Amino acid sequence: MPTMAGVPASALSTAAVPAAIVAVDGLVKDYGAVHAVRGISFAVRRNEILGFLGPNGAGKTTTIRCLLDLLRPTAGRVEVFGLDTGRDGVAIRARLTYLPGELRLPERQTAAELVAGLGRLRGGFDPVRREELAARLELDLARPMRNLSSGNRRKVALLLAFLWPVELLVLDEPTGGLDPLMQREFLRLVREARARGATILLSSHVLSEVQRVADRVVVLRAGLVVADGTVDELRRRVSQRVEVWFSGTAPAAALDTVPGLADRESEGRRFTATLTGPIGPLLRVLAAHDVESMLIEEPDLEEAVLGLYEEAAP
Amino acid sequence: MSGRALALVLDPMRATRRGALAWALSIGALVVVTVAFWPAFEGTTNLGDLIDQLPPGIIEAFGLQGFGTPAGYLRGNLYDVLVPLLLGWASIAFANGLTAAEEDAGRLEVVLAQPVSRGAAFAGRALAVLAWTALLTVSVAAFQLLSDVPFGLEIAADRLLVTVVLCGLLGALHGGLALAVAGLMPRPPVVLGIGLGVLIGGFVVAALFPLSDQLRPWAGLSPWDWALGSDPLLNGAEPWRFAALGIPAAALAIVGLVAFTRRDVRAA
Repeated sequence: MPTMAGVPASALSTAAVPAAIVAVDGLVKDYGAVHAVRGISFAVRRNEILGFLGPNGAGKTTTIRCLLDLLRPTAGRVEVFGLDTGRDGVAIRARLTYLPGELRLPERQTAAELVAGLGRLRGGFDPVRREELAARLELDLARPMRNLSSGNRRKVALLLAFLWPVELLVLDEPTGGLDPLMQREFLRLVREARARGATILLSSHVLSEVQRVADRVVVLRAGLVVADGTVDELRRRVSQRVEVWFSGTAPAAALDTVPGLADRESEGRRFTATLTGPIGPLLRVLAAHDVESMLIEEPDLEEAVLGLYEEAAP
Repeated sequence: MSGRALALVLDPMRATRRGALAWALSIGALVVVTVAFWPAFEGTTNLGDLIDQLPPGIIEAFGLQGFGTPAGYLRGNLYDVLVPLLLGWASIAFANGLTAAEEDAGRLEVVLAQPVSRGAAFAGRALAVLAWTALLTVSVAAFQLLSDVPFGLEIAADRLLVTVVLCGLLGALHGGLALAVAGLMPRPPVVLGIGLGVLIGGFVVAALFPLSDQLRPWAGLSPWDWALGSDPLLNGAEPWRFAALGIPAAALAIVGLVAFTRRDVRAA
């Protein structure tokens, strides 16, 4: 009979673990002449959801594989729960689950057999939780992997990631192949995990997904961290399109004094520009004039991140 | 042994049970069919006369001496080439399938992301290779002993068991070699290439080097010579032959384990 393994949910919020659940300091990883990760530092704080972003080949998966001690850093330090990944890998992996981006599961095994096998390595599992997750993910546990679609295989991986009540979930491209309903269910699972005290490192290409759940994002580009901050901070780095209609002629001279405005165009009563940075100075100038209507487009994380990818190109 | 340690051995064995069964039935069928033809050979002089006309070196190289006797018949048809070759091949295939091929396919990563050490995961798989090789060896002995009686092939059971065990140890040695290569580099074609290359090369050295005056002293370098050089079906074997095969098999597996714990795990 399987038994419950891992850490009780009530224990996750204790102060026994350091504030930084993951601490990466000067991590370098080379594959021969290829510099996959070139000296990055960042932290994942306790009970936060960190979005880990970057284009293909940015070094996200390499970094994650260093966290799990699947790769050995060329230089730098990686600590999880304050423990060294090279020395204390077993203790670290007992407290986390990992969903790999490139998912390869044993073809002949059913999901139930896979869960049972990994359960033997983790000291058991909660069969009630397994059934609950299978129902929520609409997953047939009795079918062999070779008969499952890529989306259903991804559901198996999600079930394995959320089955044990661990302190850290490391999710590498978790929703590839999932339909929108399942993506929504995934986000619910992430929020539930966080609510019970877990920390989540979410590597994803789906920026809308990251935008919806992440507290902070770290953006990698060509093996370097090019941004590290909250989603709002990142959004503020991108230009917003501003369009203002005045009762009379647009006050071009006054608008010229507003910092962060670019691509200004005045045409009679209409003024358009792009704004980078805080909106306060612009509003103060507009308040002194007779504004009829105003449109400021919501800055989009995707644009912000794509901008970072481009501007940081080596 | 803890439940986790047991799972690290038994789960890989469970995953490869179909392949192991296929190996056991194939080699078993070869043994039974070979023994079934014994009554047709027994007492016939024509084939013996034909073999006697072959060059002595060829007779020796392919174990055809005394082909008309039970021991000579089994040696020439099974235990000089086929059974040791197949047991070696099977052991290499088990080692490759449970380590390099699993890693190359990205499936080992699922196990290594659990709270188990790399060394324990590799050791579990090495023990699974050893266990399957041992069980295959037992099945060969069982098929042989059970088919000898109905087909009237009379041979000393102790000599037969010694021979089968030596063939199994020869297989385990090559499985150990495959584990060492897999620990160093997770490339299935390389593991199979080196494993089978050494297996076949060893046979060539043991079988053909004695035909040349210059090469004869080097025949003793072959593990095949360590295993079968005493003609164990007729003469039994000295204890050192078991150690000469078993100790390097374990040492090579340990080399693979140490190498595996020190390198990166290959991504899918």
